[in-house]
Amino acid sequence: MTLLLEQLLNGLQFGVMLFLMAAGLTLVFGIMGLINLAHGSLYMIGAYAAAWATLQTGSFVLGLLAGLSAAAVLGMALEAVILRRLYARDHLDQVLATFGVILFCNEAVAMIFGRQPLMAGPPPWLSGAVEIVPGVPYPVYRLAIIATGLLVAAGLYVLISRTRIGMLVRAGATHRELVGALGVRIGLLYTAVFGLGALLAGLAGALTGPLLAVQVGMGERILITTFVVIVIGGLGSIRGALAGAMLVGMVDTLTRGFLPATLRAVLPASEADALGAGLSSMAVFILMAIVLLWRPRGLFPAHA
Amino acid sequence: MRESPRQIFVLVASFALLAALPWIAGAVGRPDLVTLGSQACVMAIAAASLDLLMGRTGLPSFGHAAWLGLGAYTVGILAFHARDLGPPWDQWAVQAWAVWPLAVLVPAALAAVIGALCLRTSGISFIMITLAFAQMFFFLFVALKTYGGDDGLTLRRRSTIPGIAPRDDVAFFYVCLTALVLVLLLLRRVAASRFGTVLDGIRQNERRMMAIGLSPFPYKLAAFVLSAGIAGLAGALHVNLFRFASPDLLHWTMSGELMVMVVLGGLGSLWGAMFGAAAMVVLHAVLAQWTEHWQIVLGPILVAVVLLARRGLWGALGGK
Amino acid sequence: MSALLEVRGLAKRFGGLVATDGLNLDVASGEIHALIGPNGAGKTTAIGQIAGEIRPDAGTIHLAGQDITRLGVPARVRAGMTRSFQITQVLMNASALANVALVEQVRQGHSFRLWRPAARDERLLAPARAMLERVGLGARADVAAEDLSHGERRQLELAMALATNPRLLLLDEPMAGLGTTESAAMTVLLAALKQEVSILLVEHDMDAVFALADRITVLEGGRVIAHGTPAAIRADAAVRDAYLGAA
Repeated sequence: MTLLLEQLLNGLQFGVMLFLMAAGLTLVFGIMGLINLAHGSLYMIGAYAAAWATLQTGSFVLGLLAGLSAAAVLGMALEAVILRRLYARDHLDQVLATFGVILFCNEAVAMIFGRQPLMAGPPPWLSGAVEIVPGVPYPVYRLAIIATGLLVAAGLYVLISRTRIGMLVRAGATHRELVGALGVRIGLLYTAVFGLGALLAGLAGALTGPLLAVQVGMGERILITTFVVIVIGGLGSIRGALAGAMLVGMVDTLTRGFLPATLRAVLPASEADALGAGLSSMAVFILMAIVLLWRPRGLFPAHA
Repeated sequence: MRESPRQIFVLVASFALLAALPWIAGAVGRPDLVTLGSQACVMAIAAASLDLLMGRTGLPSFGHAAWLGLGAYTVGILAFHARDLGPPWDQWAVQAWAVWPLAVLVPAALAAVIGALCLRTSGISFIMITLAFAQMFFFLFVALKTYGGDDGLTLRRRSTIPGIAPRDDVAFFYVCLTALVLVLLLLRRVAASRFGTVLDGIRQNERRMMAIGLSPFPYKLAAFVLSAGIAGLAGALHVNLFRFASPDLLHWTMSGELMVMVVLGGLGSLWGAMFGAAAMVVLHAVLAQWTEHWQIVLGPILVAVVLLARRGLWGALGGK
Repeated sequence: MSALLEVRGLAKRFGGLVATDGLNLDVASGEIHALIGPNGAGKTTAIGQIAGEIRPDAGTIHLAGQDITRLGVPARVRAGMTRSFQITQVLMNASALANVALVEQVRQGHSFRLWRPAARDERLLAPARAMLERVGLGARADVAAEDLSHGERRQLELAMALATNPRLLLLDEPMAGLGTTESAAMTVLLAALKQEVSILLVEHDMDAVFALADRITVLEGGRVIAHGTPAAIRADAAVRDAYLGAA
């Protein structure tokens, strides 16, 4: 029971991270019609900048700020220099060009920071654990991530449903030409939206850093899981991104947590672990297949 | 599909050059060029099969490496178990005539299932979902410790082909070259057939195809399966070439590189895929010699190709 | 006279907008039935539902007695009903002949042949050439669709729809963008088709409509406000108010 609660919270925490990634990716797709593979690179850059600044200054907050600003600034630069030229192109061109960007970013990071992972743990004031219910301790840092993620989700909801920018964003997603006709400086709007997406990716990277090893390739791993989230949730839908992220976060965490142990009941330990690891890393893809059989356009299709 | 005189000239010259590659490699004292040539042929087969999907049918699959890898592992795993099998299976499991067709059929069969799922979506979702399913196979082979997991699976010796010594790299190069020529001729034939005409129509205007009474799904699925099978053959050759299969072969970067080869060569041009593949293989080799961080050069090259050179190498040859 | 196409209670909303509101429509065998109405009356949505591209919220569609409400577009074509498009949808980099030959191939149903070249297959080319002759494009058969004039592409669009050998043609503004002489030629062409195929015609060109139609249904706000012979429609006060007067 204790273990289950802990795993559920871990699933929630992973889901929240996935949401930060998926929200940016799906916003950029919904509004600009752009598929940006380098979204994972922004996540990696956020994580590296945060870990490096934390190690240099000893301050987690400065590290977080460094991660956010590095991702946002590089994201907007990327938009201005390369991606802007791709809005009118087909998806294939977007995929290939941003694939090139990934190769470049990965190698650049490897040259600057080397192949060894960076390790920067959570700050002292977020270390340790609290008892969420009597007898069940849970790391404070993970709780902080969950809280941050939920706050961001709420903030995004308000931004999109209540503000003028949000109205433009919603209009832009369905009536791209119309927004242009309204005299909105669409270039500026796009850069801002892209910056927001990059910021969210940077936040995800900076927050995840202390939990994992910060290393080259971390971006693509989460990117592909984020794709699964978006396909499940429905392309271009923030609501879908939230639902998909939670679903994928839970399924991934729970299968990893329980499948090997369950298989040990029927198989020798080593085989059970190998099979369990293989099956649980396939679990989210199987989930995606099931959702697609049931609803080919995802749970919350944006343009029904 | 009509080639221009200049394109025909370049084609003939290229195949002549390839056919003479072992002599050239000997003359300049670089026997490693033969392996490079084999690799170019193998990747050209994989890229040409992907072009059938991307260029002809308009289905940009970002998971093509899965079929390449599954073809390679089919050969590798059968050879791995050959010793445990009784006669005559132990012999058959290492015979090219027996296992290479399986390396085509296994990916094709899995592609029928995965493709049926992926084709429920279109556009950007199709790109994402093919990528995701391919990554699923990648994780599967990483987790299969029996077959080496992360470290990959070594093939003790090449599949047996009567009359060819397993260690003869030159002979194996000609096997790869022959396979490439046969695959290209097959795909050219398919492109001009009724089936190919329908694929063309689906790419250009799916709505119109439906309005004249055609259900696109079976044709798209058939193209997906055929393309996966040919990529599986490329995988079988690949594992034989290096006597090694690893999950890297199924990694999403491999899928990305295959897409790059197709676009670099010229989308939908069939012959172009061969030049795109050769260019990428050579570029890798040259850049890797020059710096360990070769991807930092490759990345911007890709961006530039996409932004500036839309028609690809083959299109540039065509003039106009 | 039994109805070839029978539409009953067809309804479709897009969010708050009622696009089709309980549409009833009959097209008799051998007739040209025109569907007219002001812009936004729901003609295109109605055609989309009848052709199978848009799924209706309610209602039934029968073709020659067969319930086709749940069938997809290709199945409806095979059942004998083909649409043409308001905005020409042809394969632009193929020749006119290749476009029609492709339709012929789909109709013959042997598209899983992977080996023989299709481009020299007389079983496809001969009927395709005949069809192009029929719509007056015989001399332009080998010209790429992108090099044809707008009027010629409209003829090609019609040829492709006809080549599926339908019992009922759904023509979505076949005169769209045509000049006066071209329209007149198209009118003659459609009148000649009447012998062998029934037509549901959506058209803004009233001269063409009154020249061709046996019966007319008038839509406004997704509802039928009048239907009858051209003479009756011309005399109908409601129609004049809603539409003809404003035009």
